Amino acid sequence: MTELLELSKIEIKKGNHYRLRNIELSIHSGEKIALLGKSGSGKSTLISVANGSLKPSKGIVKWQGRNLRSLSRKKKISIGTLWQDLRLIEELNVGQNINAGTLGKRNLFWALRNLLGTIESRECISCLKAAGLPKEMLTAKISQLSGGQRQRVAIARLLRQQAKLILADEPLSNLDPKLSQEIVSLLLYQKTKYSISIPKTYLISLHYPELINHFSRVIGLKNGEKVLDRSTNNLNPKDLDWLYA
Amino acid sequence: MKLVNITPTFIAIFPAIAILPIIKQLIQDLHIGGVETLLRFFSAAINPSLDQIVLSNALNGLIITIATAFLAWFFSIFIGTILGILSSNIFWEIFTNNSYIGIAIRRLLSIPRAIHEVVWGLLLLQILGLHPLVAIIAIVIPYSSIIARVIANQLDSLDNKSLVAINQTGADSASAFITSLIPPLFPLFATYAGYRLECALRGATLLGVFGLGGIGTELQLSLQSLEFNELWSSLWILGSFMFFLEQILSYIRHANFSINLKEKDVFFIFIIISLLIAIDLISLKALDIDLFTKIELHQLKLPTIIELKTAFIQLPLLKLIFTTLLLSVLSAGIAIGIPPLGLMIWPGKIGGQVQSFIWLFFRLIPPPLTALLLLLCCEPSISLAALALGISNIGVMGRLLKDNLSQQNNSLFNAVKSVGAIDQISWLYGKLSPQSKSYLAFSAYRTDVLLRETALVGAVGGIGLGWQLQESLSSFNWAEVAVITFTFITLTLIGESLSDKTQEYWIKGTRDLSLNCSLQT
Repeated sequence: MTELLELSKIEIKKGNHYRLRNIELSIHSGEKIALLGKSGSGKSTLISVANGSLKPSKGIVKWQGRNLRSLSRKKKISIGTLWQDLRLIEELNVGQNINAGTLGKRNLFWALRNLLGTIESRECISCLKAAGLPKEMLTAKISQLSGGQRQRVAIARLLRQQAKLILADEPLSNLDPKLSQEIVSLLLYQKTKYSISIPKTYLISLHYPELINHFSRVIGLKNGEKVLDRSTNNLNPKDLDWLYA
Repeated sequence: MKLVNITPTFIAIFPAIAILPIIKQLIQDLHIGGVETLLRFFSAAINPSLDQIVLSNALNGLIITIATAFLAWFFSIFIGTILGILSSNIFWEIFTNNSYIGIAIRRLLSIPRAIHEVVWGLLLLQILGLHPLVAIIAIVIPYSSIIARVIANQLDSLDNKSLVAINQTGADSASAFITSLIPPLFPLFATYAGYRLECALRGATLLGVFGLGGIGTELQLSLQSLEFNELWSSLWILGSFMFFLEQILSYIRHANFSINLKEKDVFFIFIIISLLIAIDLISLKALDIDLFTKIELHQLKLPTIIELKTAFIQLPLLKLIFTTLLLSVLSAGIAIGIPPLGLMIWPGKIGGQVQSFIWLFFRLIPPPLTALLLLLCCEPSISLAALALGISNIGVMGRLLKDNLSQQNNSLFNAVKSVGAIDQISWLYGKLSPQSKSYLAFSAYRTDVLLRETALVGAVGGIGLGWQLQESLSSFNWAEVAVITFTFITLTLIGESLSDKTQEYWIKGTRDLSLNCSLQT
């Protein structure tokens, strides 16, 4: 399997407190990794470091062997993030928000045109449908959507980005079990939907370990340190009890 | 399916397009000989005159301007607060069970508010002559009614649950009002009063440009004699003081001093303000300016009905109104659109700092002086007047936008940047978008202010009601003055009402409305 992302000796320190300490992690193409840990264990920080939005105090992040910091913006598109707070832009409608996923490939004029109305609507509708929303929702305002619908719009934006690796920060924490199952099935089991290709490599942080059977590998964080890295098949339930103790 | 959805983000930048017809006209009107003089003005910035007499004149001018502004500010706050309470609905509902008197006072106060302080200054100059109090009164009249409006709105928007609770304890109406509704006004004072002090300083400088003394007069005289090095001495001195004042006021705004204001704090503030007033009076006296000189009223020959009718028929009112509106729209366009456009094009930390510095100077130079500077190399025109007015308002709008952006977290910006978007796009989507509605609400308020300010540059552009007012004033044609003032009041009141509606529209659903915006409306 090709190595996509590599985190080497990552350290994030705030005052005397380590938010991440000596993290070594490789993510290979096709892996579906569950990132586990209690609140405050460093899951969100790790995801921010992995997508380049947070600079580590020490260590290096590499994308396909090249330093993430010096990566061209065209390459950065390959890493997609589903943020815990979704980060949808309330002032834009659903379609315009979905298009925001492709801003890395666009110039300023395209970005300005998107602020006048939804462009490339056919592609947006495909992403919307793939995320399980009706096409009529394309022009809806973000403020009119329910929590679950917002989550799906954020996924549609991610699908529009056509990333190779998806980093998701507790995407299922505020969803009911049925919706969680639907999103897991869309992200982890589908290859294409409505002619949209679904990425095949994931690092998804989960607050509770109920859904880990859907993943191929489990990584556990405790107090900012990686304390567990095992394939799901070899996982011992006691490890999880210790992780959450 | 309606795919068109023009976002507030786009609307915030789009008005910058007004710069295109302005530049086209200015290029047509450009005379090359003047460009050299203009360059001389810019190069004098790094070589201001250090002559002792020049510096001492500039400092004395600044002292007069500060004293005028501070006294005007103090009286405006005092009178404005009383008028604000008297014009609030809730005050009259408590004491008389109906709010009609409050509404009537509010309507009445819209008239002094509709006229710019410079226009008041020019009118008062005819009535009171060149008395030192003219500048102060000229500021106090519109400012008290503006403050009254803000206070009345704030009082009427307060939750009156505590008032009901205090009433039920059997307290009389006056103590119930004072206990429940006055303390929530303190935070308003901490932020809004500071902003008003800055406005008063700019107002006092402007009045100086129109001959009422202080640093404004120094600036005007240096510019008229093309003594740019002397002009820059005054500008640097005024700029340093403005920067210092802005920093102090910004600190007070962000420190939330007012939340737990104790009795001894109020006493302390009272002592400081009394001391500052005493220092002002002593400094003015030392500069041979006696505010207590007897006022001699000049008799004005009031116009007859026939004279008014003739003035109404003879004045090209439609054309004057049209040019005034055009001037407002063009200047508002650049004032609203240029700051976000500039920050979008050059969004980094250095870009932001450089632009902030330029905006400080834009705010500093009064619009009539900017117009005179532009006149060095261009013919007078509506575009020139609009650019002069727009430039100083770019300074105001830019600072507000940057201040609000600095209080916003970077999460959305980082999210857009993480998909590989360039800095300009990340700024547009991640920074401006969340601010766009509150920025547009403030823009609506600023457009309303700009309509009043057209009176300042009309004279240099030879257009609009402002120009006609100054013409009629200098020929003592009181009938024309009355007709133009009435037209101006009507126009600004319509503008104010439209601005209120626009603000309401943008404020609705705003997720992070800045305090500045809500208070300054």
